[in-house]
Amino acid sequence: MLPENITAILSRNEHWDGFAASEPYEAGWAREVVIFVRALKAPVGPQPIARVEMSPDGIHWMDEGSRIAMPTQKDGLACARVAHFGNFLRVAATFEEGSEARVLVTLHAKA
Amino acid sequence: MRRESDPNDLAEAMRQGALLANPALSRFDPMRRILVHDDFARGHCGWAQLVGNYEDTLDTMLPGYAQHTSAMLSTLAHWDAGSHGAVDSSYALKIATRPVLGAQNVAIKRLTMRHRGPIRFEAYVTYKPEASELRLGDTDVRSFGFLFDLQGGDKDADAARVMPHIRFLNADENGSAQRWQFKRSTTPFKPIGTENKTATHYHLAPKGWEDLAGGDQRLCYNEIATKVNWLYIVFDFDLQSMSALQFRCNDRVFDMSGFEPMVIPAMPNLWDMLNFAFFVEANADKRAFLYVDSVCISGDF
Repeated sequence: MLPENITAILSRNEHWDGFAASEPYEAGWAREVVIFVRALKAPVGPQPIARVEMSPDGIHWMDEGSRIAMPTQKDGLACARVAHFGNFLRVAATFEEGSEARVLVTLHAKA
Repeated sequence: MRRESDPNDLAEAMRQGALLANPALSRFDPMRRILVHDDFARGHCGWAQLVGNYEDTLDTMLPGYAQHTSAMLSTLAHWDAGSHGAVDSSYALKIATRPVLGAQNVAIKRLTMRHRGPIRFEAYVTYKPEASELRLGDTDVRSFGFLFDLQGGDKDADAARVMPHIRFLNADENGSAQRWQFKRSTTPFKPIGTENKTATHYHLAPKGWEDLAGGDQRLCYNEIATKVNWLYIVFDFDLQSMSALQFRCNDRVFDMSGFEPMVIPAMPNLWDMLNFAFFVEANADKRAFLYVDSVCISGDF
C-alpha cells in the first residue's frame, strides 16, 4: 500500500494579529511535515517570525525550533520542514501592535 | 433490482457467513452491497473538510463554514493516560471544533448514487471535550451527529435536494439534555458572488432542531474526560422515496414516523449527489471532539 500523505488546512482566511496560532493538528502517523503559510491579503505592518510548536497533549505547547518568516506581500509564501515532532503540531506567531495578516496555513504530512 | 434478505437463499446465507467470519465486518450489519468500509487504520479514507461555498473571495463564505478545519487521524492521546486507541486499531478520525461556545466542525464524504433504493449508514463513534480541565466536562459538548446531502437525478420530474439530519443533543444552555433530534428547516439561500451559479445556506444553524419522538437516551460517557466508550449508530434511508427507514443507537431503536429530512429545491449542479457528513458542536469555550472509529455504508442492490 502506498504510504499515507495528506494536505490539511489549518487556518483558512484567518485574521492574525497579537498572539495568533493555528488549531492543534494531530499527525503522529507522519514522519515528516511541510507547513506553508500564504498571505491572502497584503499584510499590514512589520511581519513576525512565526514558530512551529509541538505539544504532548494538544493543550500545553512549546517551541519546536522551526521558523517561518511571515510573508510580507499578498500571495507571498513561506514554509517550514518539520520532522521528529511526536504528534500535535501548530503554527504560532506574535504580531506587534498595529501589525496583522490574513493567512492560509496548510500542512502536508507524509508517513 | 432489490434483493430481499432471505437466509434460505444460498447466496444470502454465504454472504452472511462471510460477514460474520470477518472480524473487520462482523460488527456491522451491512445491506447486500458494501459501498464504503472505512476503519481509519488505512488513512483518512476520503473524509474531507466541509468547505463553504465562495466566489472571487473567501470573504463570501458564511461564518458557519469558515470555522471548519480538517479532520485528523488520532490515537485519542490524552495527557494522563496516553493513547486510548480505537475499537481495534490505534486510529480514529477526529473532528475537532475550535474552543468557542457554539463552534462546529464537519467532515464529509462525497459520492453519487448508482442505485435508488435503501442504503444503510453504520458507524462506531464517541465524543468528548478537550481534557483541558480536571473535571468531567459532560456538558461541554453540545452535540454530535450526522447528515446526508442528497439530490435526485437530472431526469427526475420532481427532483429535490434532500438532507436528513440527526444529532444527539448532549447538552445545551440549560445543562444536560441527552436526546436525539432531527432538523427539517434551514436558513434562506444566499447567492454567492456575481455569476449566479453559486448559493449557500447554513443547514447546521443552531435553530430548528426538533426532538425525535421517544428520543431520550443516556449514553455511556464514562467518569473522567479522558475515558471514552464507543457507540454504535445505524441509519437507513431510502433513496427512492427519500424517506428514513430506521435509526438505532446501541440497543435502542427509535420511531422514525415523525422524522422528516430537509427538502429544498434541486440545485443546478448536484444531480445524484450522495454525501455523508459527521459533525460536532461545542457547548463551552472548549474544543469538542467527535471520534469516528469506523464507518460502513451499504446499499440494498
